[in-house]
Amino acid sequence: MKTNVRHLMMASLAIFAIAGCGKPPQPNVAKETAGQPTTSAPASDEEKKLNVFCWSEYIPQDVLDQFTKETGIKVSVENYASNEEMLAKLLAGGGTYDVIQPSEYVIEGLIKENLLIPIDQAAIPNLKNIAPEFLNMSFDPGNKYTVPYMAGTVGIVVNTDLVKDDIKSFNDVFQDKYKKNIVVLDDAREIVTWALLTQKLPINDITDENLEKVKPILSQWIPLIKVFDSDSPKTALLNGDVAIGVVWGGEGALLLNADKKFKWVIPAEGTHLFVDSLAIPKTAKHPKNAEAFMNFILRPEISQKISDAFPYLNPNIAARELLTAEQRANPASFPSPDEVAKMQTFKDIGGQATKVDELVTSLKAQ
Amino acid sequence: MAGMAVSAAATTAAATYRRRPGLMAWLVLFPLIAWLVIFVIVPTIMLVVLSFGQQTGMGSITFTFTLEHYARAFSWTWLNVLWTSVKYALITTVICLVVGYPVAFFIGRAPASMRNILLTLVMIPFWTSFLIRTYSWITILSKEGLINGFLVSAQIIPEPITLLYTPFASVLGLVYNYLPFMILPIYTSVERLDNAMIEAAYDLGAGPVRAFSQVILPLTAPGLTAGALLVFVPSIAMFAITNLMGGGIPPTIGDVIYKQFTSGRAQPFGAALGTLLLLIFVVCLWVTRRQRED
Repeated sequence: MKTNVRHLMMASLAIFAIAGCGKPPQPNVAKETAGQPTTSAPASDEEKKLNVFCWSEYIPQDVLDQFTKETGIKVSVENYASNEEMLAKLLAGGGTYDVIQPSEYVIEGLIKENLLIPIDQAAIPNLKNIAPEFLNMSFDPGNKYTVPYMAGTVGIVVNTDLVKDDIKSFNDVFQDKYKKNIVVLDDAREIVTWALLTQKLPINDITDENLEKVKPILSQWIPLIKVFDSDSPKTALLNGDVAIGVVWGGEGALLLNADKKFKWVIPAEGTHLFVDSLAIPKTAKHPKNAEAFMNFILRPEISQKISDAFPYLNPNIAARELLTAEQRANPASFPSPDEVAKMQTFKDIGGQATKVDELVTSLKAQ
Repeated sequence: MAGMAVSAAATTAAATYRRRPGLMAWLVLFPLIAWLVIFVIVPTIMLVVLSFGQQTGMGSITFTFTLEHYARAFSWTWLNVLWTSVKYALITTVICLVVGYPVAFFIGRAPASMRNILLTLVMIPFWTSFLIRTYSWITILSKEGLINGFLVSAQIIPEPITLLYTPFASVLGLVYNYLPFMILPIYTSVERLDNAMIEAAYDLGAGPVRAFSQVILPLTAPGLTAGALLVFVPSIAMFAITNLMGGGIPPTIGDVIYKQFTSGRAQPFGAALGTLLLLIFVVCLWVTRRQRED
C-alpha cells in the first residue's frame, strides 16, 4: 500500500516535470520608481496602469522602466511567442490588454473584425519620426489604428569559413551538397513562402493549387534541413553545427556582429518583409495611457534603445540618426531601398494556415 | 509465488480497514480534490469539448459537434508522427530500464548510511531548471562543443563529428531527463526486498541467475512497471528536448499539438490529437494495472 503512495508521489513529480516544458507567459510587473513623475504626463483621468501584451524578447525592460518613471503609469507585461497565440488569448477575452503588438497580416484581420480602437493621432505627434514607406501601409491605410514598432525581413546567413560558393538565392541554399548543413525557421508559412518565391508565385495566394505546385520543391528541400528553430536559429550557426541559415533579420544582424565570417544575403527571388505595430484592442481599459505609451516608444532616443537591444529594421528615421555608423551599415538590420522594394508583406490567409502546416509537417515526418 | 502472497496479504489488510471516510478525512482531502478538479478534470473536459468544436479563420472557437477532427487525425501523416513519438518513448524506456535497474539495485542494497547520499545524487539534477540542463547539452554536443573539442585536440578524431541535432541527441536528452523517474520507483521496490527470500532461493539450490529471474525480478516488478510508465508516458508528449537537441526532426506528436494551438490555427484538431494521446495513456495505465493485479 505504502509503495503505491510513493509511486503516486513520483507520478506527481513527473507531472511537474512535464508541466515544466511549456513556455508560460511571464507576467512581469515593472517596478514603480519612487521618483516624481516628470515630463509628458498625459492629461487624463485614467488610473495609472497599462497592460502590455507583446512578443517575448522585443521590448527592453529599461524602456518600460523609463516610461513608468516619467509618467507614473505602472506597466504590466505579458508575452507571447506567435501572432496566433496572441489572437487566441485576445479573442477568448481572457485578459484585458491596453496595447498589443500584432504583425501586418493580423492587423488586417483585427480591423476587419472591428477589434481595434482608432488612435488619436494628435496624441501621438512622434508619428512624424516614422519613415514614409512605413506609414499608410496596405494593412492600415492612414494609420487609423496602428503605429509601426519594428520591421524586419527574412534572409540567408552564410558561414564563409565553411561555404566558399557565392550564395545568392533560395535555390542556391537548398542544394544537395549542403544536405544536413542548413538551419531554417520552424515556421510552415515562411518555408512555403520561399518555395512560392522561387516559382514566382504570389506569396499571399495560398490556394490548394499553388500548394500542390510547391509540394515537389518542398519535398526536395525539407530533407536537406538539419535544424528547424524559430526562437534562436543563430545558435546552430554560432556553434558551427550548420553552415547556412534562413533566419530573421534581427538574428542575422546579431550573427554579423558576433563574427566577420558570417555573411548576410537577401535572396534574389525576393523575401518577406514583416511590420510589427502597436495597436489598442477594443477591450482596453486604459486607451489614453496606451496612446501615451505609443508616443513614448516613437521618441527617437527610446527607439534607439530598442534598436540597440534588438537590431531589427527600425522604421523610425529620427532614431536611425542616433545609431552608430556600424549599426546602420549592418545589412541584416537595414536592407537597401532596392532590396526593400522587392520584399512583400503577408496578408491574412485564414483557414489555409492549417493546410500549410499539414503540408510541411507531413514532409518533415518522412 | 511470493509476489502473489504479498499482494494477497495487502488486499486483505486493505479490506479490513476500508470504511466510510468521515468529515475530517474529507477536510484533509479537500485540497487534493480541489487541485485535481481544477487542474486535471476541468482542463480535460475543456480539451474534449474543444476537440468537437470549430475554429474560424480569425481564430475564435465555435462550439459545435463535429467528428471531422478525429477523422483527420487518422490519416497517415499524423499516425506516422504518433508512431515516431511512441518509438522514441519506447527506446528511451528500454535504455532507462537497462541503465536504471542496476543503479537502483546498487543504491537499494547499499549500506543505509550511503543510501541517502546516493539518492540525493540522483535527485540533484532536479535542482536546476529542466531548460537550463537541456541547453547545457547543446554546449556539450555541438561541433565546437566540449566533446568534439576534446576528441579533436587529443587527436582521436581528425574533424568534429555530428552529435547534436540527431536522433541520438534526442534520445540522449530524453534518457538523461527521465532516468531518475526510473531509478526511484525501482529503488523503493529493491529497498523493501526481503533478504530472507533471496537466501531461501540460494538455500533451495538456485544459482544467481535463477535467484534473480524467479525471486528478485518478480519482487521488484511493481517498481519496474511504475518506472517504465513514468518514463514512457511523458516521453511520448515531450517536444522541448526533441526540438532543442534533435533540431525538430522528425516532428513529435507534442510538437504537432503545440503547433495546432499556435501557427496552425487548428485548436480543435490539436485538442482531438491531445484526447487521442490521453486515451493511449489510459490504455497504458490499464494494462500495467491489470498486470499488477494478476
